[in-house]
Amino acid sequence: MGEEDQDPIRVLLADGQSLFREAMRVVLETQSDFEVVGEASDGMQAVAEAERTEPDLALIDVDLPNGDGIRATSIIAEHVPGCRILILSEQEDERTLISSLEAGATGFVTKGSPIGQLIDTARRVHGGETTIPPQMLGALLARLIWSKREHDNAIRRLGKLTRREREVLALLAQGADNAGIAQPLVISPETARTHVQNVLSKLGVHSRLEAAAFVVQNGLLDELEGVNA
Amino acid sequence: MSEAKTVRQDRPTRNPEVWLRQAGSENVAYDPARETVHVLNATAVAIWVLCDGETAPKEMIEAICQLSGLPFEVVEEDVSRILGEFEEAGIISWNG
Repeated sequence: MGEEDQDPIRVLLADGQSLFREAMRVVLETQSDFEVVGEASDGMQAVAEAERTEPDLALIDVDLPNGDGIRATSIIAEHVPGCRILILSEQEDERTLISSLEAGATGFVTKGSPIGQLIDTARRVHGGETTIPPQMLGALLARLIWSKREHDNAIRRLGKLTRREREVLALLAQGADNAGIAQPLVISPETARTHVQNVLSKLGVHSRLEAAAFVVQNGLLDELEGVNA
Repeated sequence: MSEAKTVRQDRPTRNPEVWLRQAGSENVAYDPARETVHVLNATAVAIWVLCDGETAPKEMIEAICQLSGLPFEVVEEDVSRILGEFEEAGIISWNG
């Protein structure tokens, strides 16, 4: 395979169970193309070790104590951009998988997988592939499709608003009350209130809070950005 | 874009009589009416799951592109081929 001609894949192991870490270290050290450069037993330590060792690949248990594996993944992905992250999970859980990918992991494998499969997955993730258990692919794609439909639907609802109403919604999403909306738009609070009522009606929501949540949950802040500029 | 010419606009639905079972590392679809067995790879299983009568092939292709980073044309070819094979095997039908 020519693996011996290349630099080994520098690996960080993060798992709350020392026995599992030790077993993984022993297994990986039998492979000429892996080098374990750090270990961590909790989330905070995983982040610190990743920043210190700057590994090529981090194997992170999703259930790490003291800052879970998802949070650690998110921080490592941001602070150590060259490090690819493979999540280890006890179960094939769709929500956990999606949270892992959203946090920046590009691989997901269950701890019940054969060791050969785990090593193969580690190599593929390091090689740039996004790797998830094949049997979870359908559910993940279904979730992506559902999210896109929700986003498209939200954009359609947003499209019903006039420019002024979008300005009002942007301020609502920032937590502004009628006075806080009126002042930057140079309108009266009563006019602001009328605009708010129209926004709620067109979006099909029942409260200002619901309107603000609509913006945030559908990732529409960018769509509204600049309308108050 | 070539997609409008080649991607079907209607939506595939799984034949409810067909079972999907995992046998070792392989997935098989068994059609009791025809007494046929079809071995499906991981992508085919995922597409099978998405044949719910509501999801259009274009949505399947876009989601796979999003996940894999592969170009639309490449994924489109695979998805169209797999759906064509499902149709030929009689394990999906199409609704408008």
